[in-house]
Amino acid sequence: MIANAIVETDALEEFIEEIEKAKDCLPKKIDANPKTVEKGLAKLVLTLIELIRKLLEKQAMRRVEAGSLSEEEIENVGETLMKLENKMDELKEIFGLKDEELNLNLGPLGDLM
Amino acid sequence: MKLYLYGIIDFSNQITESIYGLEGSNVYNIPFCDIGAVVSEISQPIRDVTEGAVLEHEAVVEKLMANFTVLPVRFGTVVNSRDELFSMMESYYRDFKSNLARLHNKLEFGIKVIWPADKVKANIIRVLKKDEQTIESDNSPSKRFIEEKFEKYKIDKEFEAKANRFIKIIDIFFGKFAAEKKLEKLKTQNLLLDAVYLVEKDKQRDFKEALEHIKNANYPGFKYLFSGPWPAYNFVILSRQSGLLTDSQQTNDILDKVTQCQALVGANSI
Repeated sequence: MIANAIVETDALEEFIEEIEKAKDCLPKKIDANPKTVEKGLAKLVLTLIELIRKLLEKQAMRRVEAGSLSEEEIENVGETLMKLENKMDELKEIFGLKDEELNLNLGPLGDLM
Repeated sequence: MKLYLYGIIDFSNQITESIYGLEGSNVYNIPFCDIGAVVSEISQPIRDVTEGAVLEHEAVVEKLMANFTVLPVRFGTVVNSRDELFSMMESYYRDFKSNLARLHNKLEFGIKVIWPADKVKANIIRVLKKDEQTIESDNSPSKRFIEEKFEKYKIDKEFEAKANRFIKIIDIFFGKFAAEKKLEKLKTQNLLLDAVYLVEKDKQRDFKEALEHIKNANYPGFKYLFSGPWPAYNFVILSRQSGLLTDSQQTNDILDKVTQCQALVGANSI
């Protein structure tokens, strides 16, 4: 028995590719089996840090856009964000994680980032 | 023998049509008050989501949909006994009734839209480059870092604004025929829109025609995937958390799988 719903598109392969891409970057759970528990936990912690880092960065950009930061403040914020980003890169390398892996699917709440 | 559950329907008598479900088993209705739970017997729980099993589940729900209002149940839902089923029906009876009333005579359709993200971004960069001041190389590293980040921020912001504008336009075509909708933006850079619309049965022709209208609007590089009618997978609302009815993630996974399976086997595609 085959379902009757219609599927109509002129770019099926492209849609399949995009759907797969969207799924690949969203692990549903932390991989915490005995062999990979360290990486699994690192991923969770780094995901949360990355979320905070992105929020800080976005807030800084909004303030730059609004012109509400002095030259000195821009220097300080720039240095902080740069160091934070470098440190995150180091940690990602240590645990073998890619940028797109630092996300979580929160079920009905959607994606973390 | 365990019972595999396909859906809850607004009907409390036996289904007269012969329907076969998973493992080729006969599908039947177990009445509870004025509604029913549609099941078939199954020898073991479903462990893997296979294309065949998903299509079989979906086909049963669609057959039910032709004659009844259906609340589709999460793929792979198995209850151990009739008593367990009755207990679940009793717990959720009010929810089931209100959802059956709300979804009566309505169908779900899916619209996915791919847009030329690279071109859109390139255009944004071109326009921004025209007005921007060049980043001064004698600035300190931290200031240059902020300036580069700010450039990217402006591009991303404009990219998102353009995405919102196009989604609004697309939604004008489809939204006017829908009772409810759920729109997800930019799941990937290219996948501009992943939307589901709840449409009254007598408006499904208009809704389908909206696809032709938007194609005729001829936005270069835009590609559309239209699917449906589906059971209202994405529009069942429960007052408390349940593992029984479909959650949006699993729903999307199932619909995507069904969409892919069907398109690949050419089943009923136009």
